[in-house]
Amino acid sequence: MIVLKDIRKSYFIGERELPILKGINLEIRQGEFVILMGVSGSGKTTLMNIVGLLDKQTAGEFYFMDTYVDGLDDEALASFRNKHIGFVFQQFFLLPYLNALENVLIPMVYSEKQIKHPRDKARRLLEKFGLLERIHNRPSQLSGGEQQRVAIARALINDPDLILADEPTGALDSKTGNEIMELFGMLNEDGKTVIVVTHDPKLASFGKRLIRIEDGTISEDTTA
Amino acid sequence: MGLSQKIPRLREFLEETIKILYYYRSRVIFSFSGVALGILSICVIVTTIDGANKKAYDIFEALGPDAIMIFGGSERQHTARVRITTLTINDADSLQTVGGIYDVLKVFAVRGLNMKYRDRKWQTQVIGATENYFTSYKWGLQSGSFFSSEEYDNAEAVCVIGAKVYEELFAGENAIGKVIQIGRLPTKVVGVLEERGGAIGSSHIDDRVVMPLTTVMNRLSNEKRYLGMIRLKTNRDPDETIEDVKSVLRRNHGIQQGAEDDFMIRSSKDILQFVSVISGSLFLFLGTAAVVALVVSGFVLANLFYLTIQERKKDIGIRRAYGATRKGILFSFLFESIFITIIGGIAGVLLSIALQGTFERLFDIPMVFSFKVVIFALVFSFLTGVLSGLKPAMKASRIEPIEAIRG
Repeated sequence: MIVLKDIRKSYFIGERELPILKGINLEIRQGEFVILMGVSGSGKTTLMNIVGLLDKQTAGEFYFMDTYVDGLDDEALASFRNKHIGFVFQQFFLLPYLNALENVLIPMVYSEKQIKHPRDKARRLLEKFGLLERIHNRPSQLSGGEQQRVAIARALINDPDLILADEPTGALDSKTGNEIMELFGMLNEDGKTVIVVTHDPKLASFGKRLIRIEDGTISEDTTA
Repeated sequence: MGLSQKIPRLREFLEETIKILYYYRSRVIFSFSGVALGILSICVIVTTIDGANKKAYDIFEALGPDAIMIFGGSERQHTARVRITTLTINDADSLQTVGGIYDVLKVFAVRGLNMKYRDRKWQTQVIGATENYFTSYKWGLQSGSFFSSEEYDNAEAVCVIGAKVYEELFAGENAIGKVIQIGRLPTKVVGVLEERGGAIGSSHIDDRVVMPLTTVMNRLSNEKRYLGMIRLKTNRDPDETIEDVKSVLRRNHGIQQGAEDDFMIRSSKDILQFVSVISGSLFLFLGTAAVVALVVSGFVLANLFYLTIQERKKDIGIRRAYGATRKGILFSFLFESIFITIIGGIAGVLLSIALQGTFERLFDIPMVFSFKVVIFALVFSFLTGVLSGLKPAMKASRIEPIEAIRG
């Protein structure tokens, strides 16, 4: 599903090259539950941005769903993200002027897929996550855990192949964080490919595969 | 694709825009009101200029395009609103001999006369005129007849009343043959004029009573010699006729060479000119106000957008992550801005319709609403929206998703 071949990424500060990723080789197959672990500055977020088609590598080859995505332009990338990836972020990033249900429907504005009755689907997702009574609430009226579950429902509305979560428990207490991780486990059992990026070693046990990034290279790759 | 990907989801998109604007309503309201005021001014300009032109045309029609009017008193006295009677019946008669003049109407008006029919009272002007008054003004009757030559020659107490006077004194009843009290003179109504509508200066066109000049001079006032106005029609070039009229009158009045006229000549052309001067100054005044209002609100709008973009970086980031293209972001921000200005424009149009009465009293010019006004308003508000929204929208569209998400 995802194939990375010798991915390198550098930032340039004036003339100085600052390498972040120093040759990543990685393959992730359909249905995996990957924890991508690394300390701050290890390059894990940069890697996630590249995998999420939000950023481009400096060198190396990247295949997503058997497509060589390096040559795609802005519109094609946007369409690709919409079709294949559901994002979950540490700060939830729900839109303050929309209620829970409307927030879940955001990807539908840009979707080219023929999803039938998207509102019903959004309602079912929220119900499944125990938020049925919250669907008309604004983000400011929801707890952190509730907001993150709304964000996960939003990630799922367009039937993506991959759930990409960046520190999804970072803004939550550990009990709520564990609930969110269990939710990812559930989604994985339903067949979704899940990648969780985190610095928190306590989350390692939730995934089926642990990839550790250190100083821009993969230092550990173990499948449970 | 940036645009085409939106179209099937237009309804959601529109709903979202409304929610966004509602959320940022305290900012939106400023730019909205600015645009509304600007468009209001534009509507007032367009409708008033149309109204002024219509009024000018009406006056032109009412006076007759070939008419020349002569009033007593010099230009200076006239501006000072001093009414000096210098025109005599003799002047009028000697103008009959000027080449090209085929109609001479003598008028002597008495203003503010009280009149009464049973318990109904009214106050208006009585116009003493020669018999050709009605043909000269091409003014028809809704009932009765004009006064006859016999009635004119005998200075009989008969009158033809305007539609407004008829409404006030008779309120739809039959007036013909009835006797009304004009001043202290009981006068028989022989005819009722057709309604013309409109006004010349401050007096309503239909608010008048017309009587034989002889009757007014001899029985209503004690004026044997002087006239208020002489109205001529010519089949020659009006300007040439005016020159001839001037020399006849100057000779009659014994005015030395180089001295000022003691009379004043007006043609219909002068009135058209006067009205176009009025609408010109209106255009200048309101046009400036409109441009200032639109420019200011455009700047306010642009600045508020700049501010909100910083605040909405995460909004932009999440949309980009979930499939919005650069063009999509550009389009949605531009759409927001245009939406505000179009709604502001519509509010401006509605406001101008609501305030129509007030403005008409203020400028004494009727406003004529047309489809043109609406088009004008929408085009201007659209342009304001595009011009003030384009730069912020471009800035928004250039924000990279990772930059936005990182915060």
